[in-house]
Amino acid sequence: MEHVAHDETSFVRPAEVGEMELYHPKTWLGKYVFSQDAKTIAIQYAATAISIGMVALVLSWVMRLQLAWPNTFTFIDPAYYLQAVTMHGMIMVVYLLTALFLGGFGNYLIPLMVGARDMVFPWLNMISFWVYFVAVALLAASFLVGGGSTGAGWTLYPPQAILPGTPGSEAGILLMLASLAVFIIGFTMGGLNYVVTILQARTRGMTLMRMPLTVWGIFVATILALFAFPALFVSAIMMSLDVLLGTSFFMPAIMTMGNEADHVGGNPLLFQHLFWFFGHPEVYIVALPAFGIVSDLISIHARKNIFGYRMMVWAIVIIGALSFVVWAHHMYVSGMNPYFGFFFATTTLIIAVPTALKVYNWVLTLWQGNIHLTIPMLFSIAFLLFFINGGMTGLFLGNATVSMPLSDTLFVVAHFHMVMAVAPVMVVCGAIYHWYPKITGRWYHQGMASFHFWVTFVGSYLVFLPMHYLGIMGVPRRYFEITGTTFLPDSAESVNASITIAALVVGFAQLVFLYNLIVSAFNGKQAPSNPWNATTLEWQTEHTPPQHGNFGKELPCVYRWAYDFSVPGVEEDFIPQNVPPRNAQA
Amino acid sequence: MSNIFTEQPWIADTGPIAPALSGAQIATNSRRSALKMLLSVVSVFFLLMIVAYGGRMLYQDWRPTPEINLLWANTGLLLLSSLCLQVALMWARAGKADWVRGALVGAGLLTLLFLVGQLAAMQQLTAMVLGDFSNPSVGFFFMITGIHGLHMAGGMVALVRAISRAFGSSDVRAMEHNVSNCALYWHYLLGVWLLVFGLLFTGNNFEVLLRICGFI
Repeated sequence: MEHVAHDETSFVRPAEVGEMELYHPKTWLGKYVFSQDAKTIAIQYAATAISIGMVALVLSWVMRLQLAWPNTFTFIDPAYYLQAVTMHGMIMVVYLLTALFLGGFGNYLIPLMVGARDMVFPWLNMISFWVYFVAVALLAASFLVGGGSTGAGWTLYPPQAILPGTPGSEAGILLMLASLAVFIIGFTMGGLNYVVTILQARTRGMTLMRMPLTVWGIFVATILALFAFPALFVSAIMMSLDVLLGTSFFMPAIMTMGNEADHVGGNPLLFQHLFWFFGHPEVYIVALPAFGIVSDLISIHARKNIFGYRMMVWAIVIIGALSFVVWAHHMYVSGMNPYFGFFFATTTLIIAVPTALKVYNWVLTLWQGNIHLTIPMLFSIAFLLFFINGGMTGLFLGNATVSMPLSDTLFVVAHFHMVMAVAPVMVVCGAIYHWYPKITGRWYHQGMASFHFWVTFVGSYLVFLPMHYLGIMGVPRRYFEITGTTFLPDSAESVNASITIAALVVGFAQLVFLYNLIVSAFNGKQAPSNPWNATTLEWQTEHTPPQHGNFGKELPCVYRWAYDFSVPGVEEDFIPQNVPPRNAQA
Repeated sequence: MSNIFTEQPWIADTGPIAPALSGAQIATNSRRSALKMLLSVVSVFFLLMIVAYGGRMLYQDWRPTPEINLLWANTGLLLLSSLCLQVALMWARAGKADWVRGALVGAGLLTLLFLVGQLAAMQQLTAMVLGDFSNPSVGFFFMITGIHGLHMAGGMVALVRAISRAFGSSDVRAMEHNVSNCALYWHYLLGVWLLVFGLLFTGNNFEVLLRICGFI
């Protein structure tokens, strides 16, 4: 293979051969609706995910209103409450966070950060988004059908999920299963695209170990999703067949409403295993992109190279691998063999090791850094705090013996919201504020952004910290109301009311956030092309926002990693990845 | 040369840098990579179904599916179609465009016959169990053969495209890439079918395996 010695001449010969051919749309529909440009697709993913996420936010208000002031709001009955619980959980985990991190950030950042013109299969990428859109539409349709959406809990455990008496056990559950299956088909198309683009379309000099950690996080999370979603797909098909054809994959012989059901010999536990074989990696499908993004945000806004880059990469890979052998820690109360529980408790604690390493490295990156308390940095620090909180309670719940009494209490709800809801959402917000000037070419309103940060940060603590206390007292999750429960003091109800007030205020702050994003996109001050003095390739584009094809006539050439900040002997405190060594010495 | 185990990314480039791949190279490599990745995902998919099948077998009330002899003939058809694609690949490498076209059409026809045969097998089983699908093993049979059939049908879309391109062009090099991808997909799905057929739908092989492993 021919090589070019660029260090001697600081000149890199252009690629001798034609680049990837881009599709150039000729119509408005082709450019904005059925676009094949990964950046447009990213915005479509993000807009759809955030829209359905807002529905889930309203559903959380419904739950909180009922818990704070039971039987005050007549439109909330037990069935509606359970439907709100179910749909809130499923939408937030799958349709918002997974879609936003992988479909949204993945599409926008992968080609730009690895120095590619676009994803390697642009047409497939476009189809992937529209299949996702159909999945969201199917899910939304379940609100409108007879019996309403499913109220089986986001885990959809059979036999309860499909038996009469459970809200949405007719059309609701089928629409949910169909929506999940469609989502997975769409994701597989997108996921293959992300992985192959990273493996095949990196620009010259962009070795795997020079990729920003954002790309590493999305890359490994996508591989996890590709391997974990089949378990959910299989279970969705099996449960659909149980409903539609009368098979008995999960349905045992059972009495329902005084009559014998037509099923014999199904195994409900099989569903739990399949569900959690997907469900636990799903936590990391959300967490790993957040880990990657926050690593970059901390490094850029602390003007310091990330501490232990290689360790961070391998920690992402090891966490991804281990996430497939911890699933049954969600099933300690299912009556499993105690040795089995011991195995899963052990693997769960082992996964804490690479996770803790990452936390140490983030803190050590901040240590003696030139910390700029920008909005993205504030959200990154908030992520660290929430993640450490949630991680610590995870140690409680990972131990079978400690987990059992806490199972099905609000302690669990508080834990997973801290670790996989609020913490990743902090990263989502930080990332949006970080890349917003590049995506829109404009600045957001700083005052509104600060308001959004402080209300979300303090408010989320006010919501989820007291919830641990309620859980330890024994307040059960998913209950319609806890009034008249003799073992709980009246203060439990007062705490519930205070949590609801905080949740409403935090929700309002998200509306301010969205208002800021939308209005600033049109009226915000013009932003420079690299306002944070960042090193990665997306900030080195010819145009801001980047145009179709991302870079100028020639793709950039990468000479260094993404973390050359405050390099001794260099005038500026950053060296972009595409600056040749000779030019960097000035 | 980059090595993810030994590279020290904090050291900037001082050595030579490789020229970029061409658009055509990226496309070819990408298709192959995507196919391999897809097959990995499909592997997990079938593996989970096999594990679920085995897990359900461990219960005492397990009733196996009645054996269907037609599946042997269907297996033969799939084997032949896979063989046709391998032959097509060899001829493509040898530059024999006309022969490649014939082999591709042969593979397509044999696959269609396989799919029809699988549908017939499903009908036979429906008649055997008198439409009662509550036996889990029957449910598994329909699900696994159905999903395998859907994968074959999906592969047919790619094969039909490869055939139409083969007839529309005499560029044997381009044919080779398409045929090679189709052949890999067919061989793989043949392997999956041999595994599920041998393990789940004929004799008591899976039970023997589970006994050897100490699960029963």
